[in-house]
Amino acid sequence: MNEPEPLDAQEDRPPIFKTWNQMYLFVLVLHALIISLFYLFTQAYS
Amino acid sequence: MEIVDWIVMGGTLSFIVLYGIWKTRNVNSVRSYLMGDKDLPWWTIGLSIMATQASAITFLSTPGQAYEEGMQFAQFYFGLPIAMVLLAIFVLPIYYKLNIYTAYEYLESRFDLRTRSLTAVLFLLHRGLAAGITIYAPAIILSSILGWPLRSTVFLIGFLVIFYTVAGGTKAVSVTQKQQMIIILSGMIVAGVILVLQFPEGVRFSDAVGVAGKMGKLKVVDFSFNLNNRYTFWSGMLGGTFLFLSYFGADQSQVQRYLSGKSLTESRLGLLFNGILKVPMQFLVLFVGILVFIFFQFQKPPVHFNQANLDKVEGTVYESGLQALDAEYDVVFNQRQEVITGMIGAIRNDDEAAIGNAQNQLTGLNEQEKKIRQEVDELILTVDPDAKTKDTDYVFLTFVMNYLPVGLVGLLLAVIFSAAMSSTSSELNALATTTVIDIYRRSAVKDKTDKHYLNASRGFTILWGGIALFFALTADLFENLIQAVNIIGSLFYGAILGVFVVAFFMKKVKGRAVFFATLITEAIILGLFYLDHLKIIKLAYLWLNPIGCGLVMLFGFILYRLGVDKGKEPHGA
Repeated sequence: MNEPEPLDAQEDRPPIFKTWNQMYLFVLVLHALIISLFYLFTQAYS
Repeated sequence: MEIVDWIVMGGTLSFIVLYGIWKTRNVNSVRSYLMGDKDLPWWTIGLSIMATQASAITFLSTPGQAYEEGMQFAQFYFGLPIAMVLLAIFVLPIYYKLNIYTAYEYLESRFDLRTRSLTAVLFLLHRGLAAGITIYAPAIILSSILGWPLRSTVFLIGFLVIFYTVAGGTKAVSVTQKQQMIIILSGMIVAGVILVLQFPEGVRFSDAVGVAGKMGKLKVVDFSFNLNNRYTFWSGMLGGTFLFLSYFGADQSQVQRYLSGKSLTESRLGLLFNGILKVPMQFLVLFVGILVFIFFQFQKPPVHFNQANLDKVEGTVYESGLQALDAEYDVVFNQRQEVITGMIGAIRNDDEAAIGNAQNQLTGLNEQEKKIRQEVDELILTVDPDAKTKDTDYVFLTFVMNYLPVGLVGLLLAVIFSAAMSSTSSELNALATTTVIDIYRRSAVKDKTDKHYLNASRGFTILWGGIALFFALTADLFENLIQAVNIIGSLFYGAILGVFVVAFFMKKVKGRAVFFATLITEAIILGLFYLDHLKIIKLAYLWLNPIGCGLVMLFGFILYRLGVDKGKEPHGA
């Protein structure tokens, strides 16, 4: 059985942002924003 | 179903399957069969991850759940983006560095073979069960539409999925999931638009949503902290994060998807893509359920959504009783329509007193409706004591079959079948991969040729397909299909995640300690679930995930402190 070839694990820059940390922060902030909108939606129609 | 619908459904599904088989006609090695060619870009990985998670169950149960209980289920996914970020930071780089086929291979390098095998077996147990349910769900559709016996339908669908998966392997799974997700998302959006277009004249979208809100269906976020409440912000953020860390980080059906990315960067972006899109997508699916709910406020719904159950009563001495209940249901529906029309006027005029009055009247009418529906259930059970009277999963299907235009019925059925195919094929492929890589090749039959393991992979795919079929034939529809899958997952995910958390973050704890910690934890988790089932304790199943994870960490640490690992050489992670 052939063993898998080593992969290139080199960490490139993410698109748009300069660092991965900024990318992660973007995802989490966006998520917080979505939950906030859901909360406002709940309040508006309760 | 019209001939046009059959053509749309058959054509769509045939195209996807044939395209997948054609694209994978050159798959002739284990690596290609189980890992693909590792050339996927981030957006394909993201869609593939979403398609794997979004089974037919998602599109049958979720709208029905919104219809019945409102939109609180959206909170279940609140932990998902957090889990995606954590996996992208801590787990993906290690998997890429070790260049592994399965997540469980990592556990041998960190702990020992025994822990790797135990975790792989736990995965095989719960994923094997879940695969059965993902076959069972579309079987309900066909048996309901065509009047076929459920068991024959399960067999037919199961054989088709097994054939497709055996033929294509991982690469076929990935290349078809793009088309499947496009069809799924388009179909759900089209269903939503058609629903809105079918609202009665004079009822605006804002009116309809306002009514749903006043009827308590639009409560998405619930900040109350109640362990017995299944879906709250806290259970989603805490329990959900643990569940999704385990599902995406340690469930081979997902790990296999992002390990076929062409680089670490592409895989990371694929996970984050899923993290961004998944919660809005679930909101959309739930909102379609709300639109169905609104639609049936103006269009009389059946007194029971599973027509097959009603058919059982027809022609018996209880038929006249059913007709009487249906007539009562008509009266309640008409009264309700009047109240809702009044409520729309009150909402437009912002008349709080009138709105409150309408809400009170609706509460009373809902109680009457609930009582009638319960009496119908009792009639059904009198005729067939083994009948499943919970009809939530039939709500969306009833709308699709009876109210969508010709052609779109076929498209929506293609959506459900695409979802079933995408998730089931991923599951069977992952089950076969784990069996071959972690058990068969590692411990049972070593040093054979590539062709031997390729044939074994195909053989185990067939075997797991057979096991999934068996569970599909015997699984009880004990509550709600999607909840059943999640409950099964929660029994094992916590412990599996605990093993991985110890592996990543508790470097001093070694194989023997974590192995016994996992066994003890699994016994406790099953005990807690049984106590909850007996109603001795009350514990929502999502909490089993953090409890399971925490217990493995706790017992692992205690056993380490007791010297269980004494004499063991440390392994690097």
